[in-house]
Order: sequence, then C-alpha cells, then structure tokens
Amino acid sequence: MKIYAYGVIDSNCRIEDSSKGIEGGRIYNIPYRDIGIAVSDLDGRYQKNINPDHVLEHERVAEKLMESFAVLPMRFFTIFKDKEEILSMMSEYYDSFNENLNRLRGKLEFGLKVIWSGDVIKKRIAENNAGKGQSKLLSNGSPARNYIMEKFEKYKMNRQFEKEGHRDISAIDEFFSGFAVEKKLDTLKSDKLLLTASYLVEKAKQDDFKQAFERLKKSGPDGLKYLFSGPWPPYNFINLTKPEFKKA
Amino acid sequence: MNKKVKTDSPDVFIEEIEKIQEAIPKRIDANPQNVEKGLAKLVLTLVELIRKLLEKQAMRRVDGGSLTDEEIEKVGETLMKLENKMKELKEVFGLKDEELNINLGPLGDLM
Repeated sequence: MKIYAYGVIDSNCRIEDSSKGIEGGRIYNIPYRDIGIAVSDLDGRYQKNINPDHVLEHERVAEKLMESFAVLPMRFFTIFKDKEEILSMMSEYYDSFNENLNRLRGKLEFGLKVIWSGDVIKKRIAENNAGKGQSKLLSNGSPARNYIMEKFEKYKMNRQFEKEGHRDISAIDEFFSGFAVEKKLDTLKSDKLLLTASYLVEKAKQDDFKQAFERLKKSGPDGLKYLFSGPWPPYNFINLTKPEFKKA
Repeated sequence: MNKKVKTDSPDVFIEEIEKIQEAIPKRIDANPQNVEKGLAKLVLTLVELIRKLLEKQAMRRVDGGSLTDEEIEKVGETLMKLENKMKELKEVFGLKDEELNINLGPLGDLM
C-alpha cells in the first residue's frame, strides 16, 4: 500500500472532512511537529489507471484543503512508499516548509495567459525594415557576408518584435500591480504566446484582482486574447531550499 | 472548461499550449532502445545553445559596427558552417529544431 500526497498543511490535527481522494482513498493528515501532510492510501493498481480525472481529483483535494489551511500543494502524482519515507522527507524539509507556509498563508494564485498576433506583427516589422534598406552592411557577393546580412535582418526584426511584446506585457502587468504580492512572468514562449503569468494574491484582495482583469479586457492593449484562471493553491510560488544548500 | 478558467478563445489557447508542451519533453528520454538519440539530443541542445550565443554576440558586434570586413567574412563562414553541420546532425538523429531544448524545472526552459 503506497501513499499519495496532496500537500503540506499548517496543521498537525485530524482532517475533519469525509471527501475522498485519488482512487477513492480517504484523505487524512500525517502530522510532523506542528505541521502535517494531507495524503490518501493507494493500492497497487494506480499505475495502469492514470487519467485526466486524476488531475482534477488532485486539484479538487488541494483546493478543499486550501479552504481550511495554508497549503503547499504537491506536484501531481507524488507518491511515497510508506509513512516512514514521508516522515523522513518532512523532517528534512521542515524548516523550508515552515518558511513557505508562513509566506503563503492567506494567499492564492491566479494565472493569466495572453496570446497576440505575433505572426502579423512579425510580418509588419519585416515589411517596414525592408523599406529602410541596409544601413550597417553592404553585400559584396560573398556567401559568408550574405549569410551575416540575412541573420542581421532577422536579429533586427526579433529585437523590434521583443520590444513591442514587452511594451504590451508592461501595459498588461500594470493592471495588476497594486493587487499582487508576488508575480512570475514568462514572456514570449512562442511567437503567439505573449505572456504566461502567475500572480500571488492575498485572499482579501482576490475580488479586486478579478476586477482588474475585467478592466484589462475592456481597456488593455488591442488585439489580445486572454485566458484567466484561479484562484489556485500557490503552485508556482513555493521556493523549497534543499537542506544541504541552505547550510552552505 | 471549469468555471475557474475564463477565456473567449479556448481553442486558440489549447492549440498553443499543446504545441509548446509537445515540443519540450519534461525529461530526457534515455531508455535502452533510444539511448543514442537521447544523448544526441542532449549534446546537440548544448551545441545549439552555444551556437545561438555566438550568433547573438556576432549580431551585436555587427550592430555596433566593431567588426572589420575581414572579420565579418570569417564570422559569417564559421556560423554558416556550424549551422550546416547542425542541420546534418539533426537529420542523422531525426531531431527537429523545437526538440532541442531542456526543461530545467523551476528555472524554466534552457532556450
């Protein structure tokens, strides 16, 4: 019998909740000092049965825990072989878990993805640049020089593309600046995906944050498509320090 | 789509996210059946990183006007040969451009 872990919580008490977890296992708390880890038992069949419903189950449990505790959600399908292994992990990371629980208590995560017309913008920049001619390099017919000229044109185009992208990203981020305590912005992952952002927001400010998104949709930069999600447990804001690195 | 996710264009986002996720595997695939390809992918990813850094540095110097005509020729030839060699090696190991990346967990992707 293995143990499936959902998240570290800021309580060593019994979980008063009858809801079930992955494969119908009862959720319970394994206490360690003043904190604990919410888990359920898992029989040997799970490996053959992993499916998208399990992801939703995991998320549902993490969110349910979030209602009553500060939670450090575990990555999907974190499995321990027995209670001893869990306690050993809790002992090793206790200080780091505590620091994170204190920092993230009362806070939630929101996600934002933004798509822009990267292909159209690149085309427009290329057309504009083509009209301007070569300012830095002149061809002398050599393949090596032509190669550098071609690369330089691409370089200039990408630089302009990134500049325009970051201008929009700053404008978007400005809408949320007063409502988030921490943020992580992943920019231009592809030509189309302009921004993948995670914002850490105090529970008390979540409505303000949602309203900021509504304002962004109405008066943000033109031509953007948004995917807004949350509140989630703070998956992207857990900063675990490995004990051996901490001592160094 | 559950109620916690709001978007006017779900299809566009699904398509883009799937495209990015498919291109970058979470782990280096090194099982006995394709260990050669797994290793080639790792090595070529690092070579590609260095090639891109060299190219970027060269572009900065072109932009700054600090390269002589002779240096431009030399750099151009070197980068061109390196790119051609990379193309050959990618073909040999059946790797696509978008596969040459490594997910560094919390640090994001290498490139």
